[in-house]
Amino acid sequence: MAGMSGPDSRARESAQFAAIARVRWQIFINSLRTIRGRLEAVSRVFVGLWFGIGGLGGAVALGFASAFFVGHGHVEWIAFLLWPVFLFWQLFPIIATAFTETFDSSNLLRFPLSYRSFFIVRLVYGSLDPATAIGSLWLLGLFIGITVADPPLFLVAALVLLIFGATNVLLARTIFAWLERWLAQRRTREIMGMIFFLIVIGVQFIGPLTARFRHSHVAPTQYGQALLPFERLLPPGLAAASIAQFLHGNFAYGIATFLLLGVYAASFFWFFHVRVLAQFRGENLSEAAAARPKSHAQKLPVRPGWNIPFVSGPTAAIFQKELTYLTRSGPMLFTLLMPVVILLIFRMTPARNGANSFMNGAPDFAFPIGAAYALLMLTNLIYNNFGADASGVQFWFVSPARLREVVRAKNLVHVTILAAEMVIIWIAVDLMFRTPSFDYTIATVAAVLFAAPINFAIGNLLSISSPKKIDFGTFGRQRAASTTAFSALLIQAGMFGIIALAFVIGVHLHNLWITTGALLVLASFAFVGYNAALRRIDTLALTRRESFISELSKA
Amino acid sequence: MDSAAVSTEHLTRTFGQLVAVQDVNLRVASGQFFGFLGPNGAGKSTTIKMLTGLLAPTAGRIEILGLDLTANPVEVKRQIGVVPEGMGLFGRLTGAEYLNFVGRMYGLDRETSAKRTAELLDFMQLSSQPKTLVTDYSHGMQKKLALAAAVIHGPKILFLDEPFEGVDAIASGTLKAMLQRMISHGATIFLTSHVLEIVERLCSHVAIIHHGRLVAQGSLEELRAGVEAQAPESAASGEPAGAAVRTAEKLTLEEIFLRVVGGARHADQELSWLG
Repeated sequence: MAGMSGPDSRARESAQFAAIARVRWQIFINSLRTIRGRLEAVSRVFVGLWFGIGGLGGAVALGFASAFFVGHGHVEWIAFLLWPVFLFWQLFPIIATAFTETFDSSNLLRFPLSYRSFFIVRLVYGSLDPATAIGSLWLLGLFIGITVADPPLFLVAALVLLIFGATNVLLARTIFAWLERWLAQRRTREIMGMIFFLIVIGVQFIGPLTARFRHSHVAPTQYGQALLPFERLLPPGLAAASIAQFLHGNFAYGIATFLLLGVYAASFFWFFHVRVLAQFRGENLSEAAAARPKSHAQKLPVRPGWNIPFVSGPTAAIFQKELTYLTRSGPMLFTLLMPVVILLIFRMTPARNGANSFMNGAPDFAFPIGAAYALLMLTNLIYNNFGADASGVQFWFVSPARLREVVRAKNLVHVTILAAEMVIIWIAVDLMFRTPSFDYTIATVAAVLFAAPINFAIGNLLSISSPKKIDFGTFGRQRAASTTAFSALLIQAGMFGIIALAFVIGVHLHNLWITTGALLVLASFAFVGYNAALRRIDTLALTRRESFISELSKA
Repeated sequence: MDSAAVSTEHLTRTFGQLVAVQDVNLRVASGQFFGFLGPNGAGKSTTIKMLTGLLAPTAGRIEILGLDLTANPVEVKRQIGVVPEGMGLFGRLTGAEYLNFVGRMYGLDRETSAKRTAELLDFMQLSSQPKTLVTDYSHGMQKKLALAAAVIHGPKILFLDEPFEGVDAIASGTLKAMLQRMISHGATIFLTSHVLEIVERLCSHVAIIHHGRLVAQGSLEELRAGVEAQAPESAASGEPAGAAVRTAEKLTLEEIFLRVVGGARHADQELSWLG
């Protein structure tokens, strides 16, 4: 065709690679047009410097450590250095992916790209990340350390570490490619979110469990020894074993372990190829429901909406809609369960130095602390009331409801959740520690009556002035607007300070009813403030409706 | 202003230095099927957003069914139905849950809302997947659901922003039939569309907005007559000869539109490499 870069496919490929690189550069340059883009670029420079320092520092440390191990005849111990490199290389991109936007390379498929070109783009583009840069730098440090300590190991170390690096790059790309596939569909994305969330919760238990190990009779080294044979079969163990065997003159074993490392690299290459090929062939990940013929229709009767006593029809409809949204959100439900998990963690934390841990020693505070945590967890919802509505927010402006009614209905849902959470926490405290005393229970309720209206009032205003679209179904990328997050932090700090002071006074005077009385007086002021803020909602919403709608309707 | 279904006086909207809509005086009589046309970026969506309360006008006045929109927003909204540009759906509800919710927001009682929801889902052929979330619907299904939500309370005026965009021929036929029935029952429909054939077939009256200004308004015959009256002048002013010749025949809406917005002269341009 006229104007094409000629019959030479290599030249055409090069032109395509150059065009892709140029378009990425142009996207970056164009992003600098906005203040947000410029700030992001500055923050990336700082993050880059930080990573650079970490990378160089790590490389020097690993270099010295590897030289020390080789110099003292403990070459096998290089595995202890390769494992952190391996784990960082693999885990860092996954964690970073959960919180950043990713480049959808399937967009490239509409262009006449050969599979080879597409594969190279997928491999190279994704490999240009901080994990690869830092990992490579660390391996270079290791290589220098080994060769300085034992120069004849130059060739072996270079080959083994090169294959180890390639294994890491390929595994990282493979994991990323499969993650990308799972994150492409809502259902699998939600499952991934749940798994990620369970891992986060599981991490919380590491502290108490480690503390328990310290008190058990089984030494951690025994677990380590049991795991050692498996460790030697994995890439870091194989790489270290290969270098060690060559050093000891055991060439057959050295070559075998080196080849096994190569098998790992080849397997990851194949898994990556399978994924990229499926994408190249145009796999259909669409979840759009196709219309079914009427004869196969599986019709269900439409049930009338909820009837809630003393509440108007529209308020009941909003209440039902909000609760339906919440019940369909696994991550959000888990977030709401977190206070009980936190109590469990406190309960599992063993006594230290003979003294009781805080909550085991003062179980009266378990209920107030659990309630405070419940309110903190709810701030995600309270301070971004409309976040999950996304483009549906337009409906509130075309429907015949005043926005203050909508906000009040949403607050009613949050109050209901808070009340339910407090009951659950009370029962959990009763089961895990002891029955909360009557005066502490009432004082806690008074504290919540003071804190909730303030949170709702300010949360409602911030929900309209700085909204942020969130997806209840997915985990990650769910941060509130920075203005909101900062304001919420200040408000919580001030409010919990006041509540803590009220409790300190009550405990000091051995009369918690003083605390309750003071908090109830404050609660009445808070309620007046809530009503005043609610009255401002319609005016604020009408003034800010354009930016409000456009922020939440973003794709 | 008298009680037309929709009327505006000097409606203006600016975004910083950009004047998106300038001094628009619209008048849509009750029972009209009204098409609101314009090239991309002409101000169609901005106008429909102002008419439905999604955007505040910078200046001017809007009356819907004789009520001032700014002074009586709730009263007005109770009597209109809207399919906004982004459809405004709640993705994590099923179709039935969404329609039921919308019905109750418009003040229908629980039983009526449920009954109309079932009828609408059947009518729009959306009842076969009762457990599917709206977010998993195809674009066409979402469009049908948005339209169903806009009519569940029996509105007197229906505002539709590109209702046929991304809708297949079967669904499009269903929608058109429903809209025609609403018109025959006395409702007023105000729609924007890029598909001029549909507008020509459905609408009795049309307005054309260009660069934020209303450049034509009236029945199709009135618009045709206006363009034909201008034809000799444009022929004299050096417009392509074909344009003048076509006035002898009945002009299509597309031809009227191109004449009014001045797009006809670009049709002859060619791309050097396509031959």
